[in-house]
Amino acid sequence: MGLDSNFSPQKRTSSLPTTVAKGRHSSGRGGPPRGRQIQKTFNNIKITILCGFVTILVLRGTIGVNLSSSESDAVNQNLIEETNRILAEIRSDSDPTDPAQPERDLFLNETYALGPRISSWDSDRKIWLENNPEFPNFVSRNRPRVLLLSGSPPNPCDNAIGDHYLLKAIKNKIDYCRLHGIEIVYNMAHLDRELAGYWAKLPMIRRLMLSHPEVEWIWWMDSDALFTDMVFEIPFEKYKEYNMVIHGYPDLFYDQKSWIALNTGSFLLRNCQWTLDLLDTWAPMGPKGPIREEAGKVVTKFLNGRPDFEADDQSALIYLLLTQKEKWMDKVHIENSYYLHGFWTGLVDTYEDLMAKYQPGYGDQRWPFVTHFVGCKPCGSYADYPVERCLRSMERAFNFADNQVLNLYGFGHRGLLSPKIKRKRNETVSPLEYVDKFDIRRSSSDGTSRLSR
Amino acid sequence: MLERFMGPRRMYQIRRLVRHGKLTALCLVMTIVVLRGTIGAGKFGTPEQDFDNLRVHFYASRNHHRPNRVLEEVRSESSSEESVALTSEAGSNSYGTFDISKILVDEGEEEKRDPSKPYTLGPKISEWDEQRAGWLRKNPDFPSFIGPNKPRVLLVTGSSPKPCENPVGDHYLLKAIKNKIDYCRLHGIEVFYNMALLDAEMAGFWAKLPLIRKLLLSHPEVEFLWWMDSDAMFTDMAFELPWERYKDVNLVMHGWNEMVYNQKNWIGLNTGSFLLRNTQWALDLLDTLAPMGPKGKIREEAGKLLTRELKDRPVFEADDQSAMVYILATQRDKWGDKVYLESEYYLHGYWGILVDRYEEMIENYHPGLGDHRWPLVTHFVGCKPCGKFGDYPVERCLKQMDRAFNFGDNQILQMYGFSHKSLASRKVKRVRNETGNPLEVKDELGLLHPAFKAARASSS
Repeated sequence: MGLDSNFSPQKRTSSLPTTVAKGRHSSGRGGPPRGRQIQKTFNNIKITILCGFVTILVLRGTIGVNLSSSESDAVNQNLIEETNRILAEIRSDSDPTDPAQPERDLFLNETYALGPRISSWDSDRKIWLENNPEFPNFVSRNRPRVLLLSGSPPNPCDNAIGDHYLLKAIKNKIDYCRLHGIEIVYNMAHLDRELAGYWAKLPMIRRLMLSHPEVEWIWWMDSDALFTDMVFEIPFEKYKEYNMVIHGYPDLFYDQKSWIALNTGSFLLRNCQWTLDLLDTWAPMGPKGPIREEAGKVVTKFLNGRPDFEADDQSALIYLLLTQKEKWMDKVHIENSYYLHGFWTGLVDTYEDLMAKYQPGYGDQRWPFVTHFVGCKPCGSYADYPVERCLRSMERAFNFADNQVLNLYGFGHRGLLSPKIKRKRNETVSPLEYVDKFDIRRSSSDGTSRLSR
Repeated sequence: MLERFMGPRRMYQIRRLVRHGKLTALCLVMTIVVLRGTIGAGKFGTPEQDFDNLRVHFYASRNHHRPNRVLEEVRSESSSEESVALTSEAGSNSYGTFDISKILVDEGEEEKRDPSKPYTLGPKISEWDEQRAGWLRKNPDFPSFIGPNKPRVLLVTGSSPKPCENPVGDHYLLKAIKNKIDYCRLHGIEVFYNMALLDAEMAGFWAKLPLIRKLLLSHPEVEFLWWMDSDAMFTDMAFELPWERYKDVNLVMHGWNEMVYNQKNWIGLNTGSFLLRNTQWALDLLDTLAPMGPKGKIREEAGKLLTRELKDRPVFEADDQSAMVYILATQRDKWGDKVYLESEYYLHGYWGILVDRYEEMIENYHPGLGDHRWPLVTHFVGCKPCGKFGDYPVERCLKQMDRAFNFGDNQILQMYGFSHKSLASRKVKRVRNETGNPLEVKDELGLLHPAFKAARASSS
């Protein structure tokens, strides 16, 4: 009891450690050591618990449960929400300024035409060329004037990575075309509501042919096709008698009637009446809606291995060329001596091998001219192949080609997957000797191909 | 036992001392903890860092080391045709969940330069004009002039080889390069799109210097190199540069003489769009500008010098534009006579004062003027569509870039009989019907077969 009364002021004031000491000091002289020890221990424990409690409070106060309580985080949050809203608006196809117009698909009994029929294009064009000698149909060194046509949809891709690879692909095409004197038209407009999707190339090809009579060849190239041989030049003299050059396999085409016998991802069309007629025969299978669906069924039945889906331009072309062989095939050249279109899966893993064994200029399996990423669809949401494989391969193909461009400047990528470059040749005070040696344009101009070096 | 030596009182004092000591130590620890929690202890870390470390340690499988992206991916609705995601063993088929950093490999080492030697772009070349003239004589197939008054021009632009941090940045880069391709096709200009960083020390705005030097030396056939930023767009497709005006100068930039030479204003000229003639003079100028560029202390110090010397310049590291103003203003007698500061047309047009007037321009004027009535170039300075943060609100920048793009694209589409439904719309409408006699149709602006594209009889 006495002990208790002695120590009760201690208990009441024991919230601060200092009072404990005072308390103990005042009653230090008396009391059995055992009791004191217990009290001491008790006090120590109290102090420990108290300090622990205060520490936890302090820590909780600083790092706490609510992490975004600071001002900058709140601003960030607002910014994210605002930007997401804008991005969603940009990505959507809706147009606030466009009055909703009742547009319907064509019925099955309506015929679609790309434009009014033109029947004297060859002679009209010849006269025009004679009257306009400052716009000849050939460029320097007697090469025909070629226009490369490619394109992509006007809205952003479903994912940012799609736009990035579209950008890399157009850079790749710019590089090849600069080295070979070819002009590029990159189309981002849907010219024809009915011929949307893969069919959009038809009205654009026709439009360009008619507006540019000085162009001899129009070269359509998909946005997912990359040039991988910067030196190879298309042997146009070989095609003097032809009006269409397309990559494919004659046995697949004539014998097996396969729906992938030809590839319309990269092909050439001569600017002539024959082509206009071909386009006029090809287009009617394209209009969106019941016509395209019906046409899809027809071509699936006719061609080998084709899955069931609406008509695409490639199947439609194969169908029309097969059913009207006698009319068209004498002017169509099915090319497979070089990769005017090279299916990517068999090519992309061989790049290092090729770099060790061969050099640019072959265009065939020794150094593919074009690597075409069929099925990767980087602008969409889903690919037909694992995405990692697609993107990795596209990056490799891009760098493989870029190395050939950077070679003139004395640089090269550090690896086929590396965006960074490394120096391959030191700077010099007489750079022109390297220009003579490494400029691709010059080597193809003086007739000696790089292969003979 | 100690008691016997020192006596009970002594012992008691020692014990008291020990108690006080313990209490003092306890208070000290508590104070440190509280202070660390409130103001942080720098190197020793704050409780937040501890928390983060713990989080990283326990949840190491998530990518917490990925830099914080302010703008997140917008998840799209899957299209109706491909609603079934084909996931195979080797990986997913969906682009939405893919992380590009998984495939890009950062290998190799950076070139190490000897820091004691001053920075140079390359070994000094001193007879470039003669070397080049000799080469041109030996290569008549690659003349430096492709028309009577028309020099061979190479338009150079570029962007990073890695995807933009902003999810729509790459889309705007794509539109910008399409815009440049269109202008250059009409005007017989070649395009070089750079995606390579030639010198890691000259990164950022300075990356153009080693690139320009390399291109000048590797393409002796090029007479003028036209540098254009990736955020600049052509808005007048019909305007041909007045080449005869520049026959005696080596550098053409948009700017005003008074602002550069008298006021030393840092925005007295703009290096987002300029012409540089392929001469020894250009190499010397690049060599004079380069020393302010190397990343790190040099650039910082140079930045301070430029802020001090130039009017209205904010404090930040040295940029090529300020360096150009400084060099021209302080060495006018050396460079000034070969520099032309063009202000009669918008070789560079600041977007802020132009984009709202497009409709007014369409109503009152026509392409081919290049000036305030119909600007040649609309330059989106400060918008930084590829980066996370720009100097202006994102919405205004992106919407206006769309408008500027469509404004320029309309001039291309009108050649083929089409036009955008409005300056904000991606859709196009027909403005000229198809005809059975396409060769008799002349487009309004005469861009299909313009005089400035006409070839000489034997030109390349």
